[in-house]
Amino acid sequence: MPEDRQPDALTLARLRARDPQFLAALVQEHARPLYRAARGMGFRDDEAEDLVQDVLAIFLETLDRFEGRSRIRTWLFGIFHRKVFERRRESHREERHDPIDDVFESRFDTSGKWARPPADLHQILESKEIGLVIEECLNGLPASQREVFVLREMEGADTEEICKILDISVTNMSVLLHRARARLRECIESKGWGRK
Amino acid sequence: MIRCRELAELLTSDRLRDASLRVRVEARLHLWMCRHCARLARQMEQLRAAARKLADSFGPRETDAPGEGLEERLVLKLSKKV
Repeated sequence: MPEDRQPDALTLARLRARDPQFLAALVQEHARPLYRAARGMGFRDDEAEDLVQDVLAIFLETLDRFEGRSRIRTWLFGIFHRKVFERRRESHREERHDPIDDVFESRFDTSGKWARPPADLHQILESKEIGLVIEECLNGLPASQREVFVLREMEGADTEEICKILDISVTNMSVLLHRARARLRECIESKGWGRK
Repeated sequence: MIRCRELAELLTSDRLRDASLRVRVEARLHLWMCRHCARLARQMEQLRAAARKLADSFGPRETDAPGEGLEERLVLKLSKKV
């Protein structure tokens, strides 16, 4: 994500007044990252555009509650997060135990050394098809893990911003990212391109 | 010395950069000696690069005429609402 500053008083006043120039600037700066994130969450292009419109409309409607203490992008992605789960009707809650934890543990012996080392995935990870493979594998992730992966790895958000957007602790975020990346790695390896 | 399992979790959760200096030094030495952990570290970097490329591919639609793309449609729709 590009560096984003807290909005100044003038920007907020112009946005509250629905100044067309500031509205266009808001859309220009934030629509594309929101759209990319929506696509990353598995929405089709028309659904993603509709979702972004919804997020921006809610932002404008609730602008009076925005005090400018956080960055506009963080506020927008917070709305995005709530709308995604509303549309998907999925639970935000991450299960205490996830089967990927067992798969991860099974790769090591009791002394903590590799029992099943990672296969060589260089060929697939550097191939033109890797985008399609990741898209397919992302569909196998629980929504909360997928969202952390999209924000961190696709949109480049840092830990502090992700925790604010999703309202979770740093520990929780680390667990979600670990599970997401471990699951994606296993999925890619299962495609059979890896050589032992 | 840090074990493979501990380092693997630090790599997949992307917490190595926030770890203590001692852990980071041990991790560097371990990665130098252990080809399996080094492979995992490389794969996490490749996965991130591929994910960024995928995000970039969610660009404007081919059917969008110049000046009539996502941003223009949204400004038009939002202007009607406010």
